[in-house]
Amino acid sequence: MKRKLIRMGKPITLLLVMLLCSMGLLAQQSIVVKGSVSDSSGAALAGSSVRAIKSGQVILSDSTGQFQLFVAGNEVLEFSRVGYTTSQLNVSKITPDENGVLSVQMTLYLENKALDEVIVVGFGNQKKKSMVSSVTAVNVEELRVPTGNITNALAGRVAGMISFQTSGEPGLGTDNSQFYIRGLATFGTGKQDPLILIDGVESTPTDMARIQPDDISDFSVLKDAAASAVYGARGANGVVLINTKSGKSGTTKFDFRAETRMSSNTKNFKFADNITYMQLANEATLTRSPNAVLPYSVNKINHTIAGDDPYLYPNNNWIEQLIKKNTINQSYNLALSGGNTKAKYYVAGWYQMNNGNLKVDPVNDFNNNIKLQSYSLRSNVNLNLTNTTELIVRLYGQFDDYKGPIGGGARTYNNAIWSNPVMFPAVYPAEMLPYIEHPFFGSSRTFSSDGNPTSTLYVNPYAEMVKGYRVYKTSNLMPQLELKQNLKFITQGLSARGMAYVRRTSYFAVDRSYNPFYYQAIVNPLDQTYRISVLNDGTTGSVGTVGSETLGYAESDKTVNSMIWAQGALDYSRRFNQKHDVGGMLITYLSSYESGNGGSVTASLPQRNVGLSGRFTYGFDDRYMAEFNFGYNASERFENNNRWGFFPSGGVAYRVSNEKFFEPLLNTINDLKFRFTYGVVGNDQIGNVNDRFFYLSNLSLNDGTYGSSFGRNEGTATYSRPGVAVYRYANSKISWERSKQINLGMDLRMFKSLDLTVDVFKQYRSNILMSRTYVENAAGFMATPISNYGKAESQGVDLALSYNKQVNKNLNINTRGTFTYATNKRTVVDELQYDQSLAYRSMIGHSINQVWGLVAERLFVDKNEVTNSPLQYGDVGLLAGDIKYRDINKDGIINDDDMVPIGLPTVPEIIYGFGSSVHYKNIDFSFYFQGSARSSFFINPQNIQPFYKNGGYENGLLNVVAESHWSEDNPDLYAFWPRLSTWNVSPNNKTSTWWMRKGNFLRLKSVDAGYSFNHLKRIGISSARLYFAATNLALWSNFKMWDVEMGGNGLGYPIQSVYSLGLQVNF
Amino acid sequence: MHTYKRIRLSAGILLMLLIFISTNSCKKFLDIVPDNVATIESAFKLRKEAEKYLFTLYSYLPENGDGWFNPSLTTADEIWYPQSDQATWHAAFRIAQGQQNKSTPYFDDWAGERKGGGSDTRRNPFKVWRGINQCNIFIENLSDLNKVRDIDPFERERWIGEAEFLKAYYHYYMLRMYGPIPIRDQSIDVDAENIFTKRAPVDDCVNYIATLLDSASRKLPIKIQDENNELGRITQPIALAIKAKLLVMAASPLFNGNPDFASFKDKEGTALFNPTYDATKWERAKTAVKEAIDLAEANGNALYTYKNDTYNLSDTLKTQMNIRNAFTTWWNPEIIWGHSNSYFINEALCVPPLERGSNFDRFSLQGVWAPPMKIVKMFYTSNGVPIDEDKTFNFTNYSQLRTATAADRYYIEPNFVTARLHFDREPRFYADIGFDGGIWYMKDSPSGSDENTYYLKAKNVQNAGYGHYQNYSETGYFVKKLSNWESTTRGQTNPTWKGYPWPMVRLADLYLLYAEALNEVQGGSSEAISYVDKIRTRAGLKGIVESWTNYSSNPTKYTSKEGLRQIIQRERSIEMVFEGERLWDLKRWKLAAEELNQDIKGWNIFGKTTESFYQERFVFNQTFITPRDYFWPIGDYDTRRNPQLVENLGW
Repeated sequence: MKRKLIRMGKPITLLLVMLLCSMGLLAQQSIVVKGSVSDSSGAALAGSSVRAIKSGQVILSDSTGQFQLFVAGNEVLEFSRVGYTTSQLNVSKITPDENGVLSVQMTLYLENKALDEVIVVGFGNQKKKSMVSSVTAVNVEELRVPTGNITNALAGRVAGMISFQTSGEPGLGTDNSQFYIRGLATFGTGKQDPLILIDGVESTPTDMARIQPDDISDFSVLKDAAASAVYGARGANGVVLINTKSGKSGTTKFDFRAETRMSSNTKNFKFADNITYMQLANEATLTRSPNAVLPYSVNKINHTIAGDDPYLYPNNNWIEQLIKKNTINQSYNLALSGGNTKAKYYVAGWYQMNNGNLKVDPVNDFNNNIKLQSYSLRSNVNLNLTNTTELIVRLYGQFDDYKGPIGGGARTYNNAIWSNPVMFPAVYPAEMLPYIEHPFFGSSRTFSSDGNPTSTLYVNPYAEMVKGYRVYKTSNLMPQLELKQNLKFITQGLSARGMAYVRRTSYFAVDRSYNPFYYQAIVNPLDQTYRISVLNDGTTGSVGTVGSETLGYAESDKTVNSMIWAQGALDYSRRFNQKHDVGGMLITYLSSYESGNGGSVTASLPQRNVGLSGRFTYGFDDRYMAEFNFGYNASERFENNNRWGFFPSGGVAYRVSNEKFFEPLLNTINDLKFRFTYGVVGNDQIGNVNDRFFYLSNLSLNDGTYGSSFGRNEGTATYSRPGVAVYRYANSKISWERSKQINLGMDLRMFKSLDLTVDVFKQYRSNILMSRTYVENAAGFMATPISNYGKAESQGVDLALSYNKQVNKNLNINTRGTFTYATNKRTVVDELQYDQSLAYRSMIGHSINQVWGLVAERLFVDKNEVTNSPLQYGDVGLLAGDIKYRDINKDGIINDDDMVPIGLPTVPEIIYGFGSSVHYKNIDFSFYFQGSARSSFFINPQNIQPFYKNGGYENGLLNVVAESHWSEDNPDLYAFWPRLSTWNVSPNNKTSTWWMRKGNFLRLKSVDAGYSFNHLKRIGISSARLYFAATNLALWSNFKMWDVEMGGNGLGYPIQSVYSLGLQVNF
Repeated sequence: MHTYKRIRLSAGILLMLLIFISTNSCKKFLDIVPDNVATIESAFKLRKEAEKYLFTLYSYLPENGDGWFNPSLTTADEIWYPQSDQATWHAAFRIAQGQQNKSTPYFDDWAGERKGGGSDTRRNPFKVWRGINQCNIFIENLSDLNKVRDIDPFERERWIGEAEFLKAYYHYYMLRMYGPIPIRDQSIDVDAENIFTKRAPVDDCVNYIATLLDSASRKLPIKIQDENNELGRITQPIALAIKAKLLVMAASPLFNGNPDFASFKDKEGTALFNPTYDATKWERAKTAVKEAIDLAEANGNALYTYKNDTYNLSDTLKTQMNIRNAFTTWWNPEIIWGHSNSYFINEALCVPPLERGSNFDRFSLQGVWAPPMKIVKMFYTSNGVPIDEDKTFNFTNYSQLRTATAADRYYIEPNFVTARLHFDREPRFYADIGFDGGIWYMKDSPSGSDENTYYLKAKNVQNAGYGHYQNYSETGYFVKKLSNWESTTRGQTNPTWKGYPWPMVRLADLYLLYAEALNEVQGGSSEAISYVDKIRTRAGLKGIVESWTNYSSNPTKYTSKEGLRQIIQRERSIEMVFEGERLWDLKRWKLAAEELNQDIKGWNIFGKTTESFYQERFVFNQTFITPRDYFWPIGDYDTRRNPQLVENLGW
């Protein structure tokens, strides 16, 4: 707001200065003061105003910053310039030169706008300089990423946010990054991620992902209790506040942006070649059962080596056959804004198309690749009904149209590794049976361990991918009305506002697919020619699902829901005697959410909240600040007596730099503030969403399992009645999760260019809803009791550092970085009562994301060692080359009791980022690095175990396994992979240190380069920028198999590298 | 002025909105749950719903009629499965195989897990402790006269009595299995901070259960009037019978002054077993059994005898029918408590393909339940004394071959050559055991009579012999007793089984318990002998005094307390064989260590000729560790959940 005032005041100030200037010439003076005005870089500041306070004369510096004027000896000069801090100089303190001329070199510093910046906080705004609570205001420009999903921009950019991305698949939330404010602080089964409010509307991460940075005016993250307590029972996990732009008075302005993006996988997993595949498959068979039938004959291997007929000797690399190298996407945004004193408007629309990177086959006339088209229309209109009344109408509609393979894109990647590469070709050529139109997908019967064909067909990943497509559409409609009334006629500084919105969302999905016909090659032994024969046409001997040429149809889930929200608020803000800032806010709201897909009576009932929240602030001289906030709210989920919760918070801040004694330091340390807050926030979104009304028991009175029958039963029927099954016992005491939070913060500005904000926090989470799974059986509970039992603690630090240097008129360098460290531990948890000898099994004191596993020592040397070592999970068939685990509790057997906490938490404890942007004349360039540290993840060995058969699946062979595995020829005790096997040697697949990897990485997250054209006014374009932007360009990590950020999800749809070319035009 | 009005208007709207939100009775806004959502309260609104709750309490009764879920039928040494087919072994038999452990206990009734076998979870939801908790909830609610307003007061009383009985029975069931157990007299608050139970000393458990049974029996009907709809519901005689069984168990050596468990204490040092022998426990037991017998007899319970013979059976066969049908005839007068929710379903495991039938399918006629040799030897001679005591018959060389004569035709196929062991045995042997060459009379006898009827052929590749890859008898013997003679196995169609409500208590059981208690109170009691003789008479044997005096090499055995105790124990073992009583009896007599530490043996089932078949063959060396194996392990699952819960001794 202040910013706008300054900008609007510009012409008036100039006029005033010129007027005063001409008047000044009339005055009679005695001493000559000569000088120049420059900025901190030494560049001359033309048009700076120099005012003699006593005489009132004013003069402007010329184009080289020079000025000259005549003053009295005791005059005080005031130097000012718009955008710069004002400085005063007492003439009497200047020593005259030999000519009696007073020389002045005045440096004006850029005004620190940051301090006057207005930040969006819960249910209102606050000036940054008077903030007590811990809030990160994010520069919206930084959130622009070429993936078009702003959740992917949060990691490393937002101090206090732990964020990571595990999939790059376009879709409904599939490529969203997960983000937690100050890390995970609860282990309940309910909501763990922050509350997201877009224009006050409770939104999902996917809603947030769909919002365009161009439309955002403010983006704040509320991190501590003082900031989020007003959200009472919903703010415990922190709050993300996003406000969209509103129109500005003036002629209509158009902002247009077009982007073309090229997207490709950051990393693909790599397969070994298929000769190796077959040789190692034979090895895997023989190494465990020396007399077994070999899966691949020498003949087949030799023909494959020779590259003979690719249909008879298939040689597939499924990743190459299923996945394109890259894909092209588009995005267009258009916004227009304008208005007059009566009405202002901001209307924006965008369209974005994100394609997947699956190959599309011409065998179908449909497109099975992922194609996600998202678009939205937003209209924000502000109407000044009276001088003091403002009505804001916001309309927002957002829609997704999706088309993609059955089962999703990640499934295709999974199928690629789970399918046999040499048993069948993807598809036989159409010429082979010219009279048939459907594609001839390859497959064959799988074989049992004794070498006999089974009645299961091999899964052909290609057929799976192209056999059909899913379509889904989502709509999200939201009209919102806000009324603001200035009540200064009652008392100065009082105002009221009301807001209400309705939000309706819907989703439906439809699958269309055919059952592929599978063919196998039948070789004529006489001349080695072959023909193909259908495997599943439904005739005698047909195996598997019978094929069909026509598309089948399946309706998938449809979800609809409705949300109504209304709130009313009173605000008061006034400054008394130039020193006392008094502010207050009271807000009351109610909300009701209903789903059309509840599935049961209780789940279909509306979810309702009502609440009253308030904020009271007092500031003295911008030096001492105190704040008290509260939320008092109720949720329908709890019993009458526990329904209302009171969540108070408070804080104080001390701005040392405004103290008198601090003045000498002010040139170095321009601003220094300490903050302390303490408070309680709640979380009512606990447990399963369908598990509502904990105060009521839930049971079935007609469960046949628990029924009984009586009677003679000889010629007569028995008398039977169904029984009672209890699904939940009533527990009227269940209530919110509570979070006590302490925050200590410091804001520092030095050298008028360096800003540092540091916050240290500690959080005590209690009342975490838990299933009491570990209640002993003698309690006799039929349903697992649930109660507010768990407790956790988290703590950490987050800091943001920025350095902004205007080197000279043309060059500006901005460097910034963030660092977030958040660690947590469970303090009370439902678990076994371990005695001293098994104390390491207890989760207490360990991170919420700590994993317990076995300690793998190495691979077994020989059978003798196996025999003389503790029996591992009762498997007496282990051999040399299987993983040898440590018998932690020395009881002579390896079982789950030997699992100890291994590695670091699976959610990173440290997220950091740093980067720089440079503006030189019309060119801008920026880059940003993002990193993650202190996390572990686990490879799921069963997913990548080569040759492992599961129905029609038979896993492929990753190159890492081919290159490093224990074999009789090369008994490497520390090989990546243990002794090969064609079945699941389950002890080897246990969670253990063998499969544990470090999750830390550093990546070049983004690079941006642009050129701004500013000579296009004559063709009606006020500004234009052509830019190149890229994300995920490079990655540094010790883990090479897949993009390490995906962690245990490495076989899924990879994270994308995106290169985009864009044009932004304003006219 | 105009503007001012509008301001006031909009301010008014805002104010109204505020007032609306804050005062429009938020309570109402949040009270969204309709009244008729199903809750525990709604189960106790009407009789119709409460009845379902009552039936639910019954559903937790052990399904004894299913060998996989009967805790004792295959956990001892009565019935053996094929050794080679371990994959299909169920949890109970794995205990007999010595695989019991405390990390994942088999037939884990404490947790209600690993009953059944493989992935079978049929009974897993039926956890005994849950049943007890359900009883408590039911009793607590039904005792509140403001609930179930439409029920008749007498019926309310009866239902509470049934629930009390079931609660007592579940405690008794656990006590028998685990020794001292926590007493669960009230439902537990789900939000209690520490839901930890504590095992109570055995004597406390016994007294608690006995008192509860007394309370129940006062409320229960003496007899079921509406038999078509209510047979199987609990009556007063049932409650007294269970009390009798409880108190006899409590007076028996395992629980009464057992020095082996003297050191067994809970975490606070309380002894869970009373180490001092208390003779009055036997007095108390004697009284309880007598009360149970008197009430049962007054109600028309009597030892079963085969009547209404339409098939003109020989007297020999009638005697066999008396024995077999006492157990398998539906709701016969001997049955005090029949389990109407668990009909015997394992007849296919008992009956192999019979010689004269044409049904050769070993999938529907599996005959895998094999009595070991020692069970076969346990039966008396036809003189009614043990085979190693009989002065007139020599069984020393029991595998010696002998050819059956026409006189043997109701026992063995004439002219069939079989082992000495199969000749000159008491009628119960022929009624209960299927053996090579032995008779297996069924109602669908091919000849239509008991002559020239089914005779079993059990040598390798014969109908009932080894040969099928999975289904065969490991010992060459079969469990005839549990097969209902009215089941039909003839022809090529699938057999029709006439499973019967599993007898939970029958009168013969009480007679033998009474004899046992009498002898303990008054050694060599003639009244005790008279009760055993009732059983012997029905089994076609002469009385103890006559049999021992005339035929036994130890003719005065019955005159001493110890001697008569042995006679009663053996009589009980024979009479109650294959009923799942043997395990509990051996344990309470403290004889398990001796009996269950022996070899399981059978004939050489791989033999195709008479000579090769009748070679005794070792099957398995059973081990029983004292005192560990006298009780089930509670298991790590629960001892780690409840630090106050002590694991059983030795585990």
